[in-house]
Amino acid sequence: MENNNHNASNRCREQREALRALDFALVETALYLDAYPDHPEALSYYHALVAEKEKLLGVYEKNCGPMTIYSNRSRTSWDWVKGPWPWEHDAN
Amino acid sequence: MWTYDKKLQYPVKIKNPNPELASLIISQLGGPDGELAASMRYLNQRYSMPWGEVTGLLTDIGTEELAHLEMVAAILYQLTRNISEEKLAGTPFATYFTDHTTGIYPVAASGVPTDMKYIGVKGDVIADLNEDLAAEQKARVTYDNLIRLCDDPDVRDPLRYLREREIVHYQRFGDAIRIAQEHMDSRNFYAYNPSFDKGWTKKN
Repeated sequence: MENNNHNASNRCREQREALRALDFALVETALYLDAYPDHPEALSYYHALVAEKEKLLGVYEKNCGPMTIYSNRSRTSWDWVKGPWPWEHDAN
Repeated sequence: MWTYDKKLQYPVKIKNPNPELASLIISQLGGPDGELAASMRYLNQRYSMPWGEVTGLLTDIGTEELAHLEMVAAILYQLTRNISEEKLAGTPFATYFTDHTTGIYPVAASGVPTDMKYIGVKGDVIADLNEDLAAEQKARVTYDNLIRLCDDPDVRDPLRYLREREIVHYQRFGDAIRIAQEHMDSRNFYAYNPSFDKGWTKKN
């Protein structure tokens, strides 16, 4: 059981890292689009990233808990308050 | 409004506590060129910006600065975990510990609590965007100085990431000032304050 928990938290850490990379690309693209809103390549890159993020975020939230207060999936438990919190060593 | 994402923008994973280093890095939380000042500067300046591109940049960069504030706090939190009284006595962190224990309170490295005197909101496009360009460079220099003073690779890594973001923001604010000037009278950018005067026009 302990081993399973360990594997699960490692998997969540890896998925969080993948989400971080996607969100980084999204933030960078958003800042670029703010300055160049009529740039078609940047806009299609943005949409490709959004599609990939939606997929990955769905998997992450199913396995690892809500990323925001709007996505607590459980009807029996408020998983939002379960750690680790982002600033903790073990969340990164 | 804002929504909190339950993750850091970039990972902070520090093995060895080092309260002395924390007492330097805290300047990027509550110091004159820190992330709190940065987020407040941009998020408050945006209301008087007349063009969507510039408003968008201030909103999104201001929001990213809040994520950087959290990263700096995570660095401070992890550098001051599991430390003993013996390890603290006589270090520069002892004075901070006296007032705040290991809580995260925004002060400069010098110990002065944060102050909104660190930011400017002039209600003028040219004045405010030039302040923002300078602010990004000052924050970049502060990260340069911290990286010089820090030899722990676990801490240098997120500091280098944060330093890089200052450079990217500087580039985007450069775009913002160009966009603003394209909207203004190119014969005299200072003829009107488009944040206030209703009669501003674009002329060749």
